[in-house]
Amino acid sequence: MILSEADARSITNKILALSKADSCIVTLDGSEERHVRFAQNMATTNGSPSSLDIGVESHFGKRSGSASGTDLSDDALAALVAAAEDTAKRAPENPEFMPPVGPQTYPTGSSFSTATQGTTSDMLASAILPVLQKAQARNLQASGFLDIGTAFSSFANSSGLFVYDQGTEVLHTVTARTPDGTGSGWAGTTHFDFSKMDVAAMGAVAIDKAIRSQKPARLEPGKYTVILEPSAVSDLLGILISEFDQRAADEGRSFATKKGGGSLLGENVFGKNVTIYSDPNDPLVPGAIYSDDGLPAQRTAWVEGGVLKNLPRSRYWAQKTKGATVPSPTTLTMTGGTTSTADMIKQTKRGLLITRFWYIREVDPQTVLLTGLTRDGVFLIEDGAITRPSCNFRFNESPVAMLNKVIAMGPSVRAYGEESIGIPVAVPTLLVDGFTLSSVSDAV
Amino acid sequence: MRVNRRSFLRSVGGCACATLLPSALFLGERNAAAIEAADKLDLTGKLHLADVALVAAKAGGASYADFRLCRYQTEYLEVREHRLEESSTGISAGFCVRVLLDGTWGYASSPLATEDEVRRTTLRAIEVAKASQPLQLRKFVLEDVPSHQDRWDMPMKADPFLVGTDEKIAHMLAINEAAMKAGADYATMSFAFVREEKCFASSVGSRITQSRVRSMPDGEVTVVDKTTGKFATRATLAAPRGSGYDYILAYDFIGEATKAAHQAREKLKAKPVAPGEYDLVLDPTNLFLTIHESVGHPTELDRALGWEANFAGTTFCTPDKLGKLRYGSELMHIVADRSQEGGLSTVGYDDDGVRSVGTEFDIIKDGIFLNYQTAIGQAQLIGQPRSNGCAFADSWNSFPIQRMPNVSLQPNKKKCSLHDLFSEIKRGIYIVGHGSWSIDQQRHNFQFGGQLFYEIKDGKLGGMLRDVAYQGSTVEFWNSMDGIGDKSTYFLGGAPNCGKGQPEQTAPVSHGAVPARFRQVTVLNTERKDIA
Repeated sequence: MILSEADARSITNKILALSKADSCIVTLDGSEERHVRFAQNMATTNGSPSSLDIGVESHFGKRSGSASGTDLSDDALAALVAAAEDTAKRAPENPEFMPPVGPQTYPTGSSFSTATQGTTSDMLASAILPVLQKAQARNLQASGFLDIGTAFSSFANSSGLFVYDQGTEVLHTVTARTPDGTGSGWAGTTHFDFSKMDVAAMGAVAIDKAIRSQKPARLEPGKYTVILEPSAVSDLLGILISEFDQRAADEGRSFATKKGGGSLLGENVFGKNVTIYSDPNDPLVPGAIYSDDGLPAQRTAWVEGGVLKNLPRSRYWAQKTKGATVPSPTTLTMTGGTTSTADMIKQTKRGLLITRFWYIREVDPQTVLLTGLTRDGVFLIEDGAITRPSCNFRFNESPVAMLNKVIAMGPSVRAYGEESIGIPVAVPTLLVDGFTLSSVSDAV
Repeated sequence: MRVNRRSFLRSVGGCACATLLPSALFLGERNAAAIEAADKLDLTGKLHLADVALVAAKAGGASYADFRLCRYQTEYLEVREHRLEESSTGISAGFCVRVLLDGTWGYASSPLATEDEVRRTTLRAIEVAKASQPLQLRKFVLEDVPSHQDRWDMPMKADPFLVGTDEKIAHMLAINEAAMKAGADYATMSFAFVREEKCFASSVGSRITQSRVRSMPDGEVTVVDKTTGKFATRATLAAPRGSGYDYILAYDFIGEATKAAHQAREKLKAKPVAPGEYDLVLDPTNLFLTIHESVGHPTELDRALGWEANFAGTTFCTPDKLGKLRYGSELMHIVADRSQEGGLSTVGYDDDGVRSVGTEFDIIKDGIFLNYQTAIGQAQLIGQPRSNGCAFADSWNSFPIQRMPNVSLQPNKKKCSLHDLFSEIKRGIYIVGHGSWSIDQQRHNFQFGGQLFYEIKDGKLGGMLRDVAYQGSTVEFWNSMDGIGDKSTYFLGGAPNCGKGQPEQTAPVSHGAVPARFRQVTVLNTERKDIA
């Protein structure tokens, strides 16, 4: 369900008027989606879900409690406020309680497309049909998901803050497989504007990789030079960023903790060619306009020339450590370079080109050591050319180590991986030295 | 497919201050009454909306339709060290209409349960199905879906929503207090509760109402050595359960928190494991997740049919292997059920309206692969008559897809203790609790960590090891199992957050297990010395 800014404000005011607490926060979130899902060249579970969430957080002194619901009727809103207040009254005082912030100034926001919001299920099916036909003509099986949604959110409090944000989002992923199960290719990405997403081209990439990846060679595990395509990079970078936290670093339980105490802020943690930032106004990956506690999303440098510049810092921790509050990112960009993938291949004596990763989990938070697997297109490079498809591998590698071994970068592009952290991400293709592939996977 | 990384609930927990205080009980009831007041529909009202949807679906040309009206009551409490971090309650309610139109599925959902909205939403589901028909190069055909009129409620001793929030918070703070007192530098503890209520109606005449509850404790202690910059954690071994608050009260969370703080400190000084091949004894607190990933998922029929190829993946366990594949050693007996007391997947009827409680089946018997888990519209594709009741939708906003029942390793019929398993090992490792977990998209290659690792030498349990992870290939691994515990060692583990489908859905599922011995498994040392 999509509420207009005026409707969101009116419901928010109704809730704030019901509140008897010392202070109160009201959040509204809703979405409307349309998607087609397909597998084995046929539609499977196509849908049009609609969602709504109404949140109330009440405070009495330093006691807090919250309640959420999906019913906008007057009775339900009154029950919601009563439940939040009842919960707050029974909570012990939180010595870290921070009162709500006052009105803020926000970026304008640019991740909404009216045409995308108006996309129909017919239009989705029309975009997918040629991909299925092409796959069928090549004797391949295509599976995928095309999802278009509009979402709104608002955040308000009893100190006069009100912010409303609305965006559209398109997610498309497609896999093509050979019927004998020896070849598989994938493509996928996100955008806020459906007209910018070339569904046919993505289908063509998946089909091409499925054909080229057939009957892969079984190679030895070990340390490889790898070309990581953007989906693979976005997964590793997203997980790394989710480990960024000033408090955890200061408390001694983060990769960003310094021996002897304190954090690695200001130190060379990554290679000099690594710069990572967030900017809600980034034209490639515009993000939500507000972040934690309703604070404005802001341009933030996380890593600059390999130096760790910022970690998200809550209002409480900022006050305690006498630092500035650093809101969590609502979008993420790794600055790219100018090397094309073809040139990366040319300069590689022996290495692997990796399409994407799968099932990545943290093995050791101390070093952000991750494990996961390659999937849907791994190719062996020998003497500057792709020579044959490779088996899949399990990797055991840390993005902290990896970002110290980047040899070359392509331009930064929008990317999507299955371990997506839920914010838009732009990353380059990376040529990386010494990436640890610990065992072979027989999966295709 | 997989257990979500970020949403996986960790836990410590447990208190003996368990009796309900009169004031807490009163507040709990009052809260419940306020929430009930917001649920305006009685059963007649719900069934009326169902009729509206089913009539509109039929008029729109649907050969099959179903309507699910769901309501999820939730409570989430989290404490960090000595303070409350979060206390929240919630009600999420809405409905989903699913239609099969000329062999094409369409569904739509809405949080607004009114007659007009049900009609509009049904028309939207029909519109989606019609729009998707050009993609339907092969039509979906359903078997004869059964019709049931029933009510099923999960048996429960203490309703968590009738226990005062303040009592629960006090319980959690006492757990953290114990951890801090025992030397933890940091401690987190959370309790999450869900009451799931569903009203299901279908065009074949089913009218089913169900309710069940989940209690999901989670927690972790952390110790820090500032001079070396090293830290270690120890998460609770308590499992999420389809149980009431009595489960929380019966678990010794305080005793565990004390032990966890000591064990985390011991981890910092434990001997690093030498990588190599070891005999492993996996405690059921670890093995349940290995079962989930390497047995539960590979035997899902939708994966075998290729329907999850774009995301969750396919499986090595293809239909030609039914009745033939030696999946594991003869000790391997894996049963699927939706009846087990405390099981997260235990329920009377699945979300296709197929009877599920009391319909146990063998997935693997004497080491041989015998059955897949199925939802409607699948079984006949491999020559079987009907679904075995394994559909689940995680919300009123989701399409029911095939999800896991409780999938459990049956105990040894002969007497066998944990220590009996150690006794025949010259050089091995005993692994307790689940740590990191990952498996490939066809379920061959896996890697699992744990919470605690102990050396086994000449049949005896030795000191603690650190930085251990084991890797294996599913069939080889299960065929190396040559010892399992008896029923006295049985433990029901579980994951509240198994992800699958697009849009991704999260399913809760339990796995019963006994400790088991596996021979010559590859063990890694996971420390990275090249990172400061």
